[in-house]
Amino acid sequence: MNAAPFYRVEQKRRGIRLSLLLVATIALSVLFLFAGRYPKPGFTFPSDWTDPMVNTIVLQVRLPRILLALLAGAMLSASGFTFQMLFSNPLVEPGFLGVSQGSAFGAALMIVLGTGSSVLVQLSATFFGLTALLASYLLSKRFRFGGALLRLVLSGIAVSAIYSSALGVVKIVAEPTKDLQDITFWMMGGLWNATWNQIFSILSIVVACLVILFCYRWKLNLLSLQEKTSFSVGLNPKRDRLILLIVATVGTTLTISITGLIGWVGLITPHLGRKLFGSDSSYSFPASMILGSLFLLLCDTIGRTLLPTEIPIGLLTSFLGAFVFIIILSLKHQEGKA
Amino acid sequence: MKVLELDQISYTYPGGTQALDSVSFTVEQGQSVAILGSNGAGKSTLLDLLLGWNKARGISLFGKELTEYGRKELGRNLALVPQSEHYNFSFTLLEYTLFGRSPYLSQMGTPTEEDAAIAVEALGEVGLEAYQDRPITSLSGGEHQLLLLARAIAQQSRILLLDEPTSALDPANRMRVISILKNLFEKGKTLLFTTHDANLAYELATHVAMLKKGRLLCYGPKEETVTSEMLTTLYGIPLKVGSIEGRTLIY
Repeated sequence: MNAAPFYRVEQKRRGIRLSLLLVATIALSVLFLFAGRYPKPGFTFPSDWTDPMVNTIVLQVRLPRILLALLAGAMLSASGFTFQMLFSNPLVEPGFLGVSQGSAFGAALMIVLGTGSSVLVQLSATFFGLTALLASYLLSKRFRFGGALLRLVLSGIAVSAIYSSALGVVKIVAEPTKDLQDITFWMMGGLWNATWNQIFSILSIVVACLVILFCYRWKLNLLSLQEKTSFSVGLNPKRDRLILLIVATVGTTLTISITGLIGWVGLITPHLGRKLFGSDSSYSFPASMILGSLFLLLCDTIGRTLLPTEIPIGLLTSFLGAFVFIIILSLKHQEGKA
Repeated sequence: MKVLELDQISYTYPGGTQALDSVSFTVEQGQSVAILGSNGAGKSTLLDLLLGWNKARGISLFGKELTEYGRKELGRNLALVPQSEHYNFSFTLLEYTLFGRSPYLSQMGTPTEEDAAIAVEALGEVGLEAYQDRPITSLSGGEHQLLLLARAIAQQSRILLLDEPTSALDPANRMRVISILKNLFEKGKTLLFTTHDANLAYELATHVAMLKKGRLLCYGPKEETVTSEMLTTLYGIPLKVGSIEGRTLIY
């Protein structure tokens, strides 16, 4: 039988590049454990370890924070990638369909109701994120203007606007010294309150979401085709889509219920992943996950070391993300015709 | 051997329009069947039913009711060549052809090297193997149709369903697609294709099923069914079957 030498070589090359990316991300994570502003701005040298405070900061502050950056980056990028494949559109991410605003409203509502339970905040964020997704999807089916893609984006804008005005109402009634501050910081996104407890509270579900999406990585390709085609090659596209949409949304909303709104990661890193690893998602999907981790790791490290006061990570990702977005869309060989 | 048996197939869309009304015919091994009719005659509806995309009672495939087939099992028996495909991601030709291997992979599996070899062979059958690492977004309309065919060939199914396989092609690509399909037919694949082009039906099919307004007008060997009278009834305009330089032509 005819061998496929090109395929073998290319797969191998992608595999090697993927491993390099992974190693680099791990190496940087370890390195950044020693970057910070205590005892002095810059690097924490081994000689500083005599200070017990350094020990606490590295293990109780920086380590969970770095792990949260890696986890959140992977999750946001994985969901962005999944949404792009499912909607066959390289320009969507959960935020475009109202999921972020929906979960922001859900989280703010719970903060104001003041149960003080972070589990309830997470549940509420997830629930309203899912309803926003559902609303955008159903609305787009009813719209009678534009193509499928434009309808989806428009209904996403409408749903986002409804949820952000509802959020505005919640902010007005919020108790200004504590709740309002919490909400505001949450909206800007940040990993500064990362604790081991918080990580453990979402770890199992987020990892489960990542594993499920990872297992579907090759099938994501097929789901980006016309439904009838993916059906004809033996898939059950309606069921698979539903599963993946829910998994991606739950993973995203749980993540942002802790990190706050971190935009653009889910849009930019899948793009980079496909640029570097090709469109076949069996490689570009894991690559996007790692790139997402790396991107958040870099942004967070810059955010917490550059200035004496911390720069919220959501601001950084939006700033950098928008730039990368503009560059990608201006490039000659862009994906998609939408 | 009976490949496909349709027994009194009717189908009404959820909106209430009846698209098919008690259509029955049997496809045997070694036949190539054209489903011929004008636009809106129910050809696509029939194809969707055969694919299992829409469900109807009374269709059996190799003696087993179609609705009893598992999704992957059906994918190993039936492959679809759609009229067109939209893709927004620039897969390579080989990556796209590999999608046809899906019914052979486990739930969470990815294609193996053996699958890649089968896909390369399928690309070879349509003459695109030299372009296997090119992005699909760079293809012309004709090459695009060939690629859809390659993906379906890689599926290694016994039956190939084709939706208007040549309607969007220029004469050169049309001939190319026809000769590839004839070649597949000679290798033992059962072909079933919809078309509104009586010439294509005559050229490629052994048997013709004529559909008019959801009803089966006639079914049988093309020599018996593709006649001036039948075609005139089917399309409602005078048509003649003649012969030029030994080739049958409908005009």
